[in-house]
Amino acid sequence: MNLFTFIYLVGIYIILNLFQGFKHIELEDQLIYCSFFILIIGIPHGAIDHVLLLKKREISKLKFYAIYFGLIIGFFLIWHLSIIYSLIFFLIISAFHFGESQFSDIKLRAPLKNLFFFLWGFLLLFTLIFYNVEELNKITLFFDDTLELESVYDRNKILILFYITNISTFLLMLYFAIIKKIKIERFFSELFLLLLIHITFYLFPFIIGFTLYFVALHSLKVMNDEFVFFKNENSSFNIKDFIKLLAPYSILSIFFTVVLLLLAHYDFLPYSVPLLSIMIISVITLPHAIVMNIFYNE
Amino acid sequence: MLLDIVTKMAPDDYVGFTFFIGYMAMAAASIFFFFERGSVDEKWKLSLLVSALITGIAAVHYGYMRDYWGATLAADGVGDSPTFFRYVDWILTVPLMCVEFYLLTKLAGAKKSLLWKLILASTWMLVCGYIGEAFTDGSTGHSVQWGVLSTIGYLYIAYTVWFGEVAQLAENSNSSAIKKGVRALAWFVLVGWAIYPIGYMCMEGGWLSNVMDPSSVDVWYNIADAINKIGFGLVVYGIAISESKSSK
Repeated sequence: MNLFTFIYLVGIYIILNLFQGFKHIELEDQLIYCSFFILIIGIPHGAIDHVLLLKKREISKLKFYAIYFGLIIGFFLIWHLSIIYSLIFFLIISAFHFGESQFSDIKLRAPLKNLFFFLWGFLLLFTLIFYNVEELNKITLFFDDTLELESVYDRNKILILFYITNISTFLLMLYFAIIKKIKIERFFSELFLLLLIHITFYLFPFIIGFTLYFVALHSLKVMNDEFVFFKNENSSFNIKDFIKLLAPYSILSIFFTVVLLLLAHYDFLPYSVPLLSIMIISVITLPHAIVMNIFYNE
Repeated sequence: MLLDIVTKMAPDDYVGFTFFIGYMAMAAASIFFFFERGSVDEKWKLSLLVSALITGIAAVHYGYMRDYWGATLAADGVGDSPTFFRYVDWILTVPLMCVEFYLLTKLAGAKKSLLWKLILASTWMLVCGYIGEAFTDGSTGHSVQWGVLSTIGYLYIAYTVWFGEVAQLAENSNSSAIKKGVRALAWFVLVGWAIYPIGYMCMEGGWLSNVMDPSSVDVWYNIADAINKIGFGLVVYGIAISESKSSK
């Protein structure tokens, strides 16, 4: 177990105790509390993409921003062409990004490594969807502009994908343990983590389950990797410096995200809040996943 | 005597079944650890004695719990959960498990303050759990308040053995057996002890009571207790034997 799994565990116990007390937490309340954590911890983990990339590659700032915002705008336009394909594309890049950040330290050759990242990430997403498919359908059917997405959450297809990704990821991890690419203790730690993920996704509502993973296991882990990178560059770099580095870009991103969501909430934008949330998360995930891929590989 | 009260045990009474098995397994483990003290070096004898005490105290209480369950069996084949005896057992044995952590890491320089911190945290965890479970007024506020307080104690112990003082002492020790042993015991704390808060939430009216039948909670407690206490002792025994052999 690493520190992030421990934080995840603490989160599980806190939420279990909350549910013991309240039995049921309304969707609106879930959204408010989860958005708070996603904004406060989730956004900062991607707030210094430009700093990371410019440290890794010699590229002009103008070119970087043009590509970065070009990808955001491009993906935003794709959402208008097809909601379903955009969501599927978002799931694909998210799967790879989640897998890559979880196993950034293991050394494998490219095709097998990429396959493993995809499988682990898909395991995560399909497990989350599988245990909460009815809830997702309810949310989807509640808003006019998300009705189309119902076909994505087809229980039979998800069931097959759930088994395929879980079994193949387990076998691949076992293979890595046998050929000693990962230590046997790491193998069991990862299995334990997967068990925790299954338990939380099964017990908790979709939004709470995802937020817990996204905050404790993904965002904090990535921020730690970023911090270690700066610390290796400059040994006097400390947490205070790191927060100072993250703060301005995070505040700016949080501000614009909140403004956009409020505009949608008060019908100034032609999207429902859930759809706009997915759109915002997806359009910023695309360039972030590319930057992190370069960060981890170069 | 039990047989004066209970005339018939149903073959599918798994709670009763595991009380009987738990009682005998704990007693057998206690005798084993006590007699095996002769096979290890002087410095490990106290650790094995503590292991024997843990399973011995548990065996006595399992005897009481078994009888209590049998004596309160209703017509539907379900008895009362022996919460009182269960907590008496835990309040004595869980701090002793913490003593095991101290005895293991003492060889790597652990101070007495570590022992007291672990004992206090485990006692806190159990006392809060007992108040939450045994003195419930049926309100969720009571259950949550004491559940949260108890969980703090558990998480403190889990943190100490995984990342805190215990983990660091084991890491800095020269013995690979101590490193492996402490890590194995840390897994017991993390996975084995997790059944207890889950059981707490499965009590009548608890949030998880629809996941696990409240009457079956004792089965899980009994299985977890056997694994945690006997397994815990066996890990300590393994380290003691391996270290004693390597020092010869």
